[in-house]
Amino acid sequence: MTVPTLSEPEATAPDKRSGARGPERAESLPARVIRALLTQRIVLLAVLIVLVVVYFMVLGANGYLTAAYDFDYMSAALINAVPLAMLGFAELIVILSGRGGIDLSVGAIVSLAGMIFGFAYGQWGWPLWLSILITVIVGGVLGLINGILVAYIGFPALIATLATYYAYKSLAVVINNQRPISTRPIQDLYDSTARSVQLPVIGAWIPDVPKGIFLFLLPTMIVVWLLLARTTYGRRVYAIGTNDVAARWSAIGVRATRAGAYMISGLISGLVAVVTVGQFASARPDAGVSGNGMALPAITIAVLGGVAITGGIGRVSGIVLATVLIVWMNAGIRLAFEGNAGPQNQLLALGLLLVFAALLNGFALRRYGGAG
Amino acid sequence: MSIDVAQRDQTPPSGPEPTTKGRHRVLSPPVTGQELVLIGVIAVLWAILAFTTPAFFTPSSIQPLVASVAPIALIGIGMTVVIITGGIDVSVGAAIAVCSVITAKLVLVQAGQSLPVALIISVIVGGLLGLLNGVLIAYGRVHAIIITFGTANIFLWIALKIFNSTTVNNIPDTLAPLGNGAPGRTFGVPNSFLITVVLAAIAWYYLRHTAGGRHFFAIGGDQLAAQLAGVKVRQRILAAYLLTGLLVGLASTFVVAQGSNLGQNVGNGKELAVIAAVVIGGTSITGGRGSVLGTVLGALLVQTVASGVTQLGWRSELSDLFVGVAIIIAVGADLLRERARRKR
Repeated sequence: MTVPTLSEPEATAPDKRSGARGPERAESLPARVIRALLTQRIVLLAVLIVLVVVYFMVLGANGYLTAAYDFDYMSAALINAVPLAMLGFAELIVILSGRGGIDLSVGAIVSLAGMIFGFAYGQWGWPLWLSILITVIVGGVLGLINGILVAYIGFPALIATLATYYAYKSLAVVINNQRPISTRPIQDLYDSTARSVQLPVIGAWIPDVPKGIFLFLLPTMIVVWLLLARTTYGRRVYAIGTNDVAARWSAIGVRATRAGAYMISGLISGLVAVVTVGQFASARPDAGVSGNGMALPAITIAVLGGVAITGGIGRVSGIVLATVLIVWMNAGIRLAFEGNAGPQNQLLALGLLLVFAALLNGFALRRYGGAG
Repeated sequence: MSIDVAQRDQTPPSGPEPTTKGRHRVLSPPVTGQELVLIGVIAVLWAILAFTTPAFFTPSSIQPLVASVAPIALIGIGMTVVIITGGIDVSVGAAIAVCSVITAKLVLVQAGQSLPVALIISVIVGGLLGLLNGVLIAYGRVHAIIITFGTANIFLWIALKIFNSTTVNNIPDTLAPLGNGAPGRTFGVPNSFLITVVLAAIAWYYLRHTAGGRHFFAIGGDQLAAQLAGVKVRQRILAAYLLTGLLVGLASTFVVAQGSNLGQNVGNGKELAVIAAVVIGGTSITGGRGSVLGTVLGALLVQTVASGVTQLGWRSELSDLFVGVAIIIAVGADLLRERARRKR
């Protein structure tokens, strides 16, 4: 164990543990640090983020990177975090709701809702607020279809969202004959969503930050956090995810709550559609499903962020830290390798990280009887 | 074993239930209701297609159709066993990419090896990839979907490294006996399809009528109970993923044999196509119930829809919509039957 990088968890984690579990206060400091690393996912993620950033900065300082890995670059890379983290929140809510909850269709919803946004704003000339509203509503309806299939009819979530993934993906392509929509107003969206801006007051001292972070990511994060941590609905989601029979006996409307989780996932996907159209300056029919698609990275983020695939366990902070880790790691890999090797090695890093995180989850569960 | 808690209170498996009324009560019938419905639907679709497009019922239309069924159905055999144990493997698409690029580029183009060598290497590579999944899932005791998401990324990295940013061109026709052309047929039927049918028949018998086969159902029904009953749970789970890997290796040779070029997007989305075929075939995603026959029929249905959509002159992307609808109808019908069975 290298001591310098562990300074952060040493400072914060033991307080939490000792507050939560009194009898274990007798543990030695190294044991407590290891326990915090293994059982508290956000501690592990924070340490990994520090390691990744320090590693790439050292590489950059020694001239191994094709460009400087500095705060400006890291800040610009955050634009990639916007869709990733938002869909991570969508998966968080769905996976939390339990019974094998998962949403494979988020990428397809992004494609289809994005095309609707393209029609509304780019071709029919609707005002921006109305176009965004209709896009989010379309996303919500598509998500609600998933929710009804899963919660009311009883489809396993994997099957229902696999089926709607196919259906939505196909509709997104067919709806405009496979052509993207990139009229003038759509192209102008790039400036208002994806461009980096200087913050007021403190902006002179910190790097410019992409607008999408403030316009979309932070509001979504706050709303999802409030929803899960501070509302009755949020507590119900945790309840049905932990034990839905017990939840039913506690007079919780299990079906409506679970269907709601999928609808919220759809609403967020609709919002991501707007972000994606802005980022590409074009409404592309394959925006959310090309290549690996958007669903698999989002699920990866959720798992890495400590969300238990069995439901009931998971936090917003885990998603945020997991996203930052992935985005900054990918940004560094892009600089460390030239040409196609960069994106390829991102696959390897993501895969290893996921397997590692999953094995660690299993180990922590057996060793300490619960991963947080 | 907390993973099973959510699944256990769902559909009870209709597999081996203790009863004294004799053999025919223990096993589900050889052809289940789901499979009869599938046969009916496929027959109706073929009849409609034959009626509307005269070119459909010609060998030049049917042969590519059944040849395209082969890789999906073949991998579907392994996926059926995996899903029966309560797992899933979403890495098969990336595994296809690894096996086919190794076979096409390294073995055929660069080394110029013969068909048996290519076949053996492809199957061994697929087996190794499956073994990795199996070890991680059976002994790491982590949920299969997460591990295979992770290994899918790693496999894709391996494949892209070997592709080295270019498509593989000028693949020699060494694998022609497994391909789409005339040398790839026996009595007019593509060899790849014949191999798939034979292997499916063996797997069908093994799963239904041998103790080893029933163990997979027992694990999917209740892992803990199976363990207490003496089933070697971990070895069986490992075997399921290993089998899937071996079949991916074999199916990859069919894929390579289909043309003289191999693009980097080979295998893209195939994992979902295979899972779709398996669930349309009536295999329960929560484990404990399913059949290989259903999977082959499911693959046939999916490819019939895809072929039909293009033959009717519609946009080929529309076939995905019908695949989605087919999944909903097939699994929905199964849910309704299950509900009716429990009420009785």
